[in-house]
Amino acid sequence: MKTTANTLMLICLLMLTTFSLMAQQQRYTVSGYVKDEHSGESLIGISIGKPGTSVGTVTNEYGFYSLTLPAGSHEIQYSYMGYKPIKMTIDLTSNKRQDIKLAQADRQLNEVVITSKQQEKNINTLNTSLNKLDIAEMKKLPTFMGEVDVLRAIQTLPGVNTVGEGAASFNVRGGAGDENLILMDEAPVYNSTHMLGFFSVFNPDAVKNINLIKGGFPAEYGGRTASVLDIRMKDGNNQKLGLTGGIGNIFSRLAVEGPIQKDKSSFIIAGRRSYMDVMMKPFMKGDMKDTKLYFYDLTAKVNFNLNKNNSLFVSGYFGRDVFGFGGQVNMNWGNTTTSVRWNHIFNNRLFMNLTTYYTKYDYSLEFKSKETDVAKQSYKWTSNIINYGIKPAFTYYINSNNTLHFGVQSVLYTFKPGKGTATDGETTNETVLKDKNALEGAVYLDHELKAGKFGVQYGVRLSGFQFRGKGTAYYYADTTAGIRKRLDHTQEFAAGKTIADYYFLEPRISAKYKLNATSAVKAAYSRSAQYMHQLSNTASPTPVDIWTPVTNNVKPQLTDQVTAGYFYNAPGDKFELSAEVFYKTMKDQLDFIDNSDLDLNEFIEADLLASTGRAYGLELYVKKDIGNTTGWVSYTLSRSERKTPGISQSEWFINRYDRTHNVNVVVSHEFTKRISMGANWVFASGTPATFADARLEFQDWDIPYNTTEKRNNYRLKPFHRLDLSVTWKGKQLKRWKGEWVFSLYNVYARRNAYTVYFRQNEDDPNKKEAVRLSIIGSIIPGITYNFKF
Amino acid sequence: MKRIINIFAILVTAAAGFTSCEDVIDLDIPNGKTFAVVDAWITNEAGKQSIRITESVPYTATGAAPAISDAVVVLTDLTDNKTYPFTFANGVYSHDPGLDKSIGVLNHAYKLRIELKTEVFEAIDTIKRVPEIDSISYEFKTEENSASNEEGYYARFWGRDLAGASDYYWVRSYRNTKENRVGDAFAVDGSYQEYVSDSAIFIVPISESITDWDKPFQLNETVIVRLASLTKSSHTFLTHVESQLNNGGLFAKILENVKSNIKNTNASSETRVLGWFGTSAVKFKERVIR
Repeated sequence: MKTTANTLMLICLLMLTTFSLMAQQQRYTVSGYVKDEHSGESLIGISIGKPGTSVGTVTNEYGFYSLTLPAGSHEIQYSYMGYKPIKMTIDLTSNKRQDIKLAQADRQLNEVVITSKQQEKNINTLNTSLNKLDIAEMKKLPTFMGEVDVLRAIQTLPGVNTVGEGAASFNVRGGAGDENLILMDEAPVYNSTHMLGFFSVFNPDAVKNINLIKGGFPAEYGGRTASVLDIRMKDGNNQKLGLTGGIGNIFSRLAVEGPIQKDKSSFIIAGRRSYMDVMMKPFMKGDMKDTKLYFYDLTAKVNFNLNKNNSLFVSGYFGRDVFGFGGQVNMNWGNTTTSVRWNHIFNNRLFMNLTTYYTKYDYSLEFKSKETDVAKQSYKWTSNIINYGIKPAFTYYINSNNTLHFGVQSVLYTFKPGKGTATDGETTNETVLKDKNALEGAVYLDHELKAGKFGVQYGVRLSGFQFRGKGTAYYYADTTAGIRKRLDHTQEFAAGKTIADYYFLEPRISAKYKLNATSAVKAAYSRSAQYMHQLSNTASPTPVDIWTPVTNNVKPQLTDQVTAGYFYNAPGDKFELSAEVFYKTMKDQLDFIDNSDLDLNEFIEADLLASTGRAYGLELYVKKDIGNTTGWVSYTLSRSERKTPGISQSEWFINRYDRTHNVNVVVSHEFTKRISMGANWVFASGTPATFADARLEFQDWDIPYNTTEKRNNYRLKPFHRLDLSVTWKGKQLKRWKGEWVFSLYNVYARRNAYTVYFRQNEDDPNKKEAVRLSIIGSIIPGITYNFKF
Repeated sequence: MKRIINIFAILVTAAAGFTSCEDVIDLDIPNGKTFAVVDAWITNEAGKQSIRITESVPYTATGAAPAISDAVVVLTDLTDNKTYPFTFANGVYSHDPGLDKSIGVLNHAYKLRIELKTEVFEAIDTIKRVPEIDSISYEFKTEENSASNEEGYYARFWGRDLAGASDYYWVRSYRNTKENRVGDAFAVDGSYQEYVSDSAIFIVPISESITDWDKPFQLNETVIVRLASLTKSSHTFLTHVESQLNNGGLFAKILENVKSNIKNTNASSETRVLGWFGTSAVKFKERVIR
């Protein structure tokens, strides 16, 4: 601990010396917010720079920028894809506040506009392994059942895949599904899908843009090791009241946004509800009569520009899936998140965002006797995880070449793994799995340095985790790897007392060298620690797969990743290209013994194993942003493996989410102003699988058995699928704007294998068969009417 | 619990208008190694008790697995130190203590010893207590009133977990005769988990498990239910078997081999047998659908 603190101090000192040396010439700062003229939405990633030079910056997540230049007159241009650029001459004789409003460009202007997005180009940014998508791009993708979906959109990017259609998690660069940090307006989201994985919980009407970071993590991000999916919601139009929505065959959406006080404050409320249960109702009789099957979510946000230097954002999300069966089984689950953020400009070079958040995931499962039953019985389980977090984050814009990011983060966790209530007539019996408590903290500092063709962002994050009382610590005896550990003893800890704690120093560095006007090379290294795991031993996580902190038995996962890439931006921005390679090692990934019991098990840690993982790959990406035909092609060649004592003969085996090849082709074409078309083709190597090569006859069963004892040594057939969509815009009236989206998912009706399993033939028990399950085995049409008022 | 979620998954896919589909496929994989498989389950039922020892066969091989006939099988009641030799005839090893006598006695521990070629294997299990099945009830459902769209009689059993301690049970049901198995379910006390309830009536998914929803009982058929006690380790084994037998769906698990409690007495030997030795006290109940 002491040495890490010393290292940190040393780095700070070094940085300060560098800066004091630089602050010689008289310089002034121009700073401010960049917003959309019509909606007042703050604009993220806007380029601000001196045309023809590499001097410049981009707006941050809140639309703020700060650019320090030598005294004198400067021509400054503000530009962003899809917006009319603004060029102005600024006389810098003192520090200057310059808030800017950009107007959206007409379609014809696109080409002009885009050629000027200097600072945002991949060859000019420091980050490697970063993909950005804004909602306009996501809307061009063919949809699943007519719905624009954030999680489906990111799966078209290189390095991202899933275990199959309908899976409730995604995998980035060979990492497990629980290694992704999903942030919605800075609050973590634990369950990112509705309907067990078919739809994401993010309402597209309320999403502004997303960033997916797969490597070279800036020091401000931590707690998960594979990726950061940073989702930013709209602020709400502060100019005029507006209504957007859509009516589809699965669910409908409605969003209202508008000013509370024009230019000063605004709100957005967006809701969705699925209605398959309503449509099914006439067909549900008898047992199925009380079937409940729906989800809903509500996203709301208000923001206030308190004055020139202070703004406040309050965001909330509430979503729930409800499932009931014949009145006898009831289940529901969902996330709740709330975040309050305060942006404060201390001076024209020091910006702070203070986020406090609350996030909760909970589920409930209930069995009940029938209304008609004489003996009344019920059995109900509830479980939840709650976090309270606070994270002040500072950006210090020292000058046009140096920026400093630093901050502190703290999260308080409570886990209620399960409370069971059983009633039998008049008697009620309650069982409670003991709460778990934990505290996570981090401090970080990083420095962004631009020096001509060279740029580097380096920093360090010191993170710590305390698994603490009030709670019970379980101590297990060592045993043969792969076998349930025997409980040795337990010990009670009082509130606040440390049961186990861990600290890690996580160095991060990304560097860029611009080769010429069109190309750059970049490299990055990052170490990240993860203190939370989702306990899931099924192909796709279920809603009852709970999260658990690291404890005295479960160690934090530590991932080291190196990545290097070549980036090319064709002259005139005709297209951009990137090629990246990565290699990463994962220590203490979570694995499970055979036949592990993860449901409501007090002694769950006896079933957990620690494994070592490694992943490596090549990612190619070509993207075309301008013209009538736009889109991208991504290709990933990769491997993801792990080694777990006691599993697969303790040898390396391929992860279920490994894909040797993964190709995505996304094309959209605008035929006329009113008709456009989108296409998406996916190809992925088959999922690794474990097959039975023998059966055991036992008590009238035929038990499938794998005599090789090797895991995932076969692969299912390759996965491929084509989706198409056509968007037809009706007559665009002054206020009412409507469009029809017709989509076809799985156009050539391929039956892609999700799993292969083994069973006795239902009609002839003597016959044993291998069965391929395709979650989606046919062509799925979708139709949605979207409107804007 | 995972099964409940799987029902949900099926409903979601069906309701959303897309049907997940299953196709029987040919897998071109090499035949696995051959192991001896011991199927030994001793109960306190009176009369003859049998043990099967077969060879494992390729998964899709048709026909019964070949029996191993040259083993020496001896069961010992460790509690009152009696031994019962099992002899091979008609594909099974059996011992008949006489029509009204039973080998299995409540709360007694048993050791199974198998000599196979030069190797000796042993396993131990205990007969735990089991409650009575109070009754079987049934309800007629028309095609459209049934969740599975199958017309017929849907039966459930009524019983109450024994008070005190955690009890583990195996519910198996049959149609007309004990040769005709319908379904299996496993319970801890009256539900799925320890320390949730005690002395409760078996909860709904378990009590209704005696009907095959795809093939409900019909008029004049006999519903037979067997409730068997289990040790915790036998319960763990059987639920593992269950998860391997019904391992499809969105939440499929990786195929994880079932473990065996029948160990080679020579720890340094590489030779293994598969299967399980379990013991149970059993109670039966039957009812004819009228």
